[in-house]
Amino acid sequence: MNQKNIGLILFFTICFVIGSNAQSRSSLRINEVLVTNEDNFVDDYGQHNGWIEIWNSSFSSINIGGCYLTNDKSNPKKYLIPRGDVLTIIKPRQHILFWADDRPQRGTFHLNFKLEAGKDNYIALYDSNGKTLIDQINIPASITTDQSYARVEDGVSQWIIKDGTQDNYVTPSTNNMIEHANIKIENFEKHDSGGIGMSLIAMSTVFTGLILLYLAFKLTGKIAITMSNRKDMKQTNKAADSKSASTVKTAPQGKGASEDIVAISMALHEYFGGDHDVENMVLTFSEVGASHSPWSMKLFGLRKR
Amino acid sequence: MGDFLSFLGNNLIDFWSYTGMANATIGHLVMLGFGLFFIYLAIAKEYEPMLLIPIGFGILIGNIPFNLEAGLQVGIYEEGSVLNILYQGVTSGWYPPLIFLGIGAMTDFSALISNPKLLLIGAAAQFGIFGAYIIALQMGFDPSQAGAIGIIGGADGPTAIFLSSKLAPNLMGAIAVSAYSYMALVPVIQPPIMRLLTTKKERVIRMKTPRQVSHTEKVVFPIIGLLLTTMLVPSGLPLLGMLFFGNLLKESGVTKRLANTASGPLIDTITILLGLTVGASTQASEFLTIDSVKIFGLGAVSFIMATTAGVLFVKIFNLFLKKGNKINPLIGNAGVSAVPDSARISQVVGSEYDPTNYLLMHAMGPNVAGVIGSAVAAGILLGFLY
Repeated sequence: MNQKNIGLILFFTICFVIGSNAQSRSSLRINEVLVTNEDNFVDDYGQHNGWIEIWNSSFSSINIGGCYLTNDKSNPKKYLIPRGDVLTIIKPRQHILFWADDRPQRGTFHLNFKLEAGKDNYIALYDSNGKTLIDQINIPASITTDQSYARVEDGVSQWIIKDGTQDNYVTPSTNNMIEHANIKIENFEKHDSGGIGMSLIAMSTVFTGLILLYLAFKLTGKIAITMSNRKDMKQTNKAADSKSASTVKTAPQGKGASEDIVAISMALHEYFGGDHDVENMVLTFSEVGASHSPWSMKLFGLRKR
Repeated sequence: MGDFLSFLGNNLIDFWSYTGMANATIGHLVMLGFGLFFIYLAIAKEYEPMLLIPIGFGILIGNIPFNLEAGLQVGIYEEGSVLNILYQGVTSGWYPPLIFLGIGAMTDFSALISNPKLLLIGAAAQFGIFGAYIIALQMGFDPSQAGAIGIIGGADGPTAIFLSSKLAPNLMGAIAVSAYSYMALVPVIQPPIMRLLTTKKERVIRMKTPRQVSHTEKVVFPIIGLLLTTMLVPSGLPLLGMLFFGNLLKESGVTKRLANTASGPLIDTITILLGLTVGASTQASEFLTIDSVKIFGLGAVSFIMATTAGVLFVKIFNLFLKKGNKINPLIGNAGVSAVPDSARISQVVGSEYDPTNYLLMHAMGPNVAGVIGSAVAAGILLGFLY
């Protein structure tokens, strides 16, 4: 492999690694925000403060350490989420909470700014370069005490004000929409209790998949046979051309050529004493060995004791 | 002296409370009996010994009674125990795809490629899965559990374990043991159904010799197979991806070492771990329930339905085929993807009626199609019910 190829492989590998990293961080979402906290969730110091919930929408863990949270459009690097804290790793589809109490000395999850009641609050999450915007949101000034501004469901684009009433819970560090039942299964029980619909759809899909494979391989087979015939014909013609015209006046041509050669070879083989299988009183000694047979490979594999 | 004897006596009582004899229940003895029966079937009857020996011995390991309160960390359900660590390959579902990798690396798909219509038999045999699904629903299982139970009819142990670990983890032990038991009993279950559903004339149908398949076709097969099936059912990706990947390793011709590892040491290692831990997961306290009995019953029903569907499908299919292209319905049972046992049954039953009629190579077509079909079916069930 020359240096150019090695360079290319390295380049693509680096691009892939950088790309996959960026892609995973881009799965983070600002999910719910509470500006004025009087009677809501308390922090690890037992105090009520505004909070910002971040949700990992991906199915792999993401370390938010090194990213920036800010409430100032002109200063994307306002709060650096410390690196090296294992708690900054957000598990798949899980949440993490930051306290907007302007007391960063209290630990990783305490921001260096506060959210202001009665005003629009801008919140943004930036990647570790401080330039790539991951997510941002404007919290409306109309939001009141102990109300949160949240996505209707984790990760969806629609936001609502949650006032803590029935079916409109404020949900710090948990899913914005709490499922009280397995809706998917309940729907099956309600609409397809006999399982007929499911069976019909599933069998149709199995057949569709295998019919597609059937069509693909029927086509592939036809192409392979055509190509094989062409190849045979070319080889025959080439062999015929390579012999001088004086020795082979009527070289076999076309599709039947290979068959002619096979017939002649077979006749010569028989004439010079090839194996006999049919005639009475003639013993045939054929080589017997553990010859390769694709049909028996698995048999050998599974039956050997 | 009295104190000393009392001290020894107390310790002996303590020791006794830890022994298997002191903790044995009827359930343990029943399960130990099952384990011994599996080992007997494997050794004396040669029914799937590669599977039944590890499972049977696993049942013995999993059902040695011990004091559950002692915190000895020996049980398969005790976090941190060796068996529990090995069992994680089952619960998190990564043993089955590795088995599929090995199956792909050891399977020759030539029969399918040369006669692709045999794929449809593999699809028809999946009726067993959904027949059992419908009956399981009627018996009171919820849709997720019914889906996991139905997959027993796919006759594919790894697929059954993979799906049940996702849809019904609490039933996984019973489903896995049931699937492997019936796979081992294929020589008992299938022949009567095949004889019942076919005429003498049909049993001696001779099929066209498969054409020789080129190297290019064999290389293209896993690539097209992967793209077509997983585009349709992405949830089948772990199983189908590994199956076709293993086959590409084999057919590419340039990765022989990898193919040999996948089809040899790797699949052997995983088979040992999978069989042993599935067997050990049948701890009497978890396994001996009414649900397990129902699952065993449903497993038998699904196998019978799958075999019936495969044979009947070929008979119906033959109505549309020209005289020289007819398919021997005795290979219909091979759509049940117990590779290669169900294909071997086609050969055995066929040779009873015409010893010179070799059906094995033809039966391998629907047999491997059944593997693909059951993986696709598992993907659909996962997509719908997970």
